[in-house]
Amino acid sequence: MHIAEPDKNILARRGDIVARLKEIVPDGVVSDREGLAAYDGDALTAYRQSPMVCVLPRTKEQVSGILKFASEACVPIVPRGAGTSLSGGALPRSDGILLGLSRMNRIVEIDYENRCVVAEPGVTNLAITRAVEGRGFYYAPDPSSQIACTVGGNVAENSGGIHCLKYGLTTHNLLGVELALPGGERVKLGGKAPGAGGLDLLGVVCGSEGLLGVVVEATLRILPKPPITRTLLAVFRAVPAAGQCVADIIAAGIIPAAMEFMDRRCIAAVEDYCAPGYPKDAECILIIEVDGIAAEVADASARIMDIARGAGAQDVREAIDEAERARFWAGRKAAFPAMGRLAPDMLCMDGTIPRRALPQVLARMAEMSEEHQLGFCNVFHAGDGNLHPLIIFDVMKPGELDRAEAFGGEILKLCVEVGGVLTGEHGVGVEKRDLMGVMFSDADLAQQQRLKCAFDSAGLFNPGKVFPTLSACVEGGHMHVRAGRLPFANIPRF
Amino acid sequence: MTRIAITSEAELADVIRGRDAPLEIIGAGTKRDYGKPLENLDVLDVSALSGILSYEPEELVITARAATPVAEIEAAIAEKNQRLGFDPADWGPLFGAPASKATIAGALSADTSGSARVRFGGARDHLLGYRAVNGLGEAYKAGGRVVKNVTGFDLPKLICGAMGTLGVLTEVTLRLVPRAHASATLVVKDIQPGEGLALLRRVWSSPLEATGLAYVHEWAAAYIRLEGGPTPLKDKIASLRTLLHGMEVLKVADGEATFRKIGSGAVFIDQSLDIWRICVPPSEAAKTAEAIASPRWLADWAGGLLWVGMNETADLHDIAKRAGGHATLMRASVETRSRIPVFPPEEEIRAALTRSVKAAFDPKDLFNPGRMG
Repeated sequence: MHIAEPDKNILARRGDIVARLKEIVPDGVVSDREGLAAYDGDALTAYRQSPMVCVLPRTKEQVSGILKFASEACVPIVPRGAGTSLSGGALPRSDGILLGLSRMNRIVEIDYENRCVVAEPGVTNLAITRAVEGRGFYYAPDPSSQIACTVGGNVAENSGGIHCLKYGLTTHNLLGVELALPGGERVKLGGKAPGAGGLDLLGVVCGSEGLLGVVVEATLRILPKPPITRTLLAVFRAVPAAGQCVADIIAAGIIPAAMEFMDRRCIAAVEDYCAPGYPKDAECILIIEVDGIAAEVADASARIMDIARGAGAQDVREAIDEAERARFWAGRKAAFPAMGRLAPDMLCMDGTIPRRALPQVLARMAEMSEEHQLGFCNVFHAGDGNLHPLIIFDVMKPGELDRAEAFGGEILKLCVEVGGVLTGEHGVGVEKRDLMGVMFSDADLAQQQRLKCAFDSAGLFNPGKVFPTLSACVEGGHMHVRAGRLPFANIPRF
Repeated sequence: MTRIAITSEAELADVIRGRDAPLEIIGAGTKRDYGKPLENLDVLDVSALSGILSYEPEELVITARAATPVAEIEAAIAEKNQRLGFDPADWGPLFGAPASKATIAGALSADTSGSARVRFGGARDHLLGYRAVNGLGEAYKAGGRVVKNVTGFDLPKLICGAMGTLGVLTEVTLRLVPRAHASATLVVKDIQPGEGLALLRRVWSSPLEATGLAYVHEWAAAYIRLEGGPTPLKDKIASLRTLLHGMEVLKVADGEATFRKIGSGAVFIDQSLDIWRICVPPSEAAKTAEAIASPRWLADWAGGLLWVGMNETADLHDIAKRAGGHATLMRASVETRSRIPVFPPEEEIRAALTRSVKAAFDPKDLFNPGRMG
């Protein structure tokens, strides 16, 4: 891992920068070495770097003050929620301010009449559901880190979860934000009324990975909780049969709330770990969940059983009670820790593929595993084609991190090759930044970078993330992207 | 005024690269009177960019050239029992244009989302990816061809509803949703606006997943569209009756036609009134309608959208803003649309952002200049 030298000009002013931030947030500046160590990265654990300074505002006015100062002083800003990003979205810069939003954790308003919750960015994802479930509502996006991850981070990353096929990603459940821009001004985009009322800037802010602004408030759609949920387990001796089952369910017009695929390697790992009772001789399983009103769920469940048998499932059954339902899910939810037990380090990839390409992609991945001499397994949001290969390795063994990253990179290139994309829900961050050219041409990337410049012409917001090369913003929108060259030597490279 | 008809993306890029004078982009030309008037511009005719390029029913995804008629796409996907989730309404007849001619890029660019938006989301929620030519004459792509994608900025969201001001679409990829086996439209008649809209919000907050929730003032009636397989649909209707106990809930014979009329504003076609579309928080719909005091209005999307008929002196931007929403002057004479902003006026910070974003796509202001004013 190579990190370029930080900007000495900024580091020389560190004392002054810390002092100025303390004026804005007297009780919320972390500048000592031990304190900063707590903020040295996120859930992409292979990369660590302490920020120059961390500031923890409690109000949107303080956020504006910090951004105004940073803009005047030309200091980079890295926003951070709970630090659960799997792509390094919150990886700090050693010459930048880490803007931690975890203290802004108030639910501002619950509006049942308009089915929405207004929350500060540091509120956790699960806290939204907790706040409204007493009245029979919930917030649909459910990333696996939902107990910890924050609303602001969810908006930045356009987080997904298990139930995306039916209920969408964050962007489909986000009604509005108040966004703090470089310079500190704040603008409201969207709100409780439908539609954008002009250009849909909200649409492009969601998922912009902290490159366009800082979310200081979000308005989220809540949904009535479906009265009935049923969970089925379908067992297959061959991957193509499971793929066919998924295709047939969709073709029959059924949109399950969740449809999760686990391969043989993953089944073996979770059986050793927590024994959920999946058949050990299975090549793969599907966990399929349907929700809605009673008659609809009964109808869908019966049809799915028929379809699964028709596609060649050796066994398919519905959980008989809540305990069995929990057991079906226990294995799926234990996939990460179960694989984590097999080796000290793990890379979780996140490509999306057209569903039909599943058998081909899995076969090719098995070959890659041999070539790279690294273990892996597959969990897959089969409904929406979002693939999560988990690659296991040991960072202490020479060359294994490089091989794991090469393996992961090849998987993502394969995803793009079969008509898919580099990331379905984890974001580009630093992890997939250098692969953007696999999916996008120079012209495609130049257009995205021009949009970045429209929001942040000085390039101070989360620099070094998402784009393989940064180019200076030029008046009039002309921009030159020089593929493979680094116009800014002080951007950290890994 | 010159008419420049292009037949390919490459040809389009060539035309734009050599150009400094602004253009009006047209496909089928059914909504040319929507937006701030564009005067005497050269016309860029993209209608030749038509045809479905690929349709994968098992992936719930379709890719088509930009000027493919919506009707052609709907017919192709109906064969596989699928539909466009944003339920594009046919606005052509409102502007005196023929029905069923509108193109998919036009429907996305004007965001003609119909009544089912309340259940499935708007145009922006269904455009997965696109190809376009920007104001520098560069052909580029954005988004992808799969439903779950967070790779790079979500430009497809931005291009929807942008009225062609950010570039010329050449190809679009849409997600599709399964068509329900059956639908039923139910009506509660002789109900006052406040009560009718409260009833619709109650259904909206229930797990019935209604695909239409509208109130038509002239008929003093609240309409609810439910969908499902034969048994589930029966169950949903029974649940609705339980939810609205004490009210008379009747079945509408041709509910689909009723919702087509509501979603497309066809209720207003034979009227000479100007038409405003006002988005408000659903709870504010009845109050807002009352404050406007128009004799002709209807509410769709559980009250999130008001269609209001007005005389030509009205300016409803302030009233919409005070209600926490925004208004668009959808149909009016050239004179009125020159005088009153068509799209909601923006506060200065946002207006500056809008200008920078426009410049990031179209620095020479070539495409439909000022149309979103």
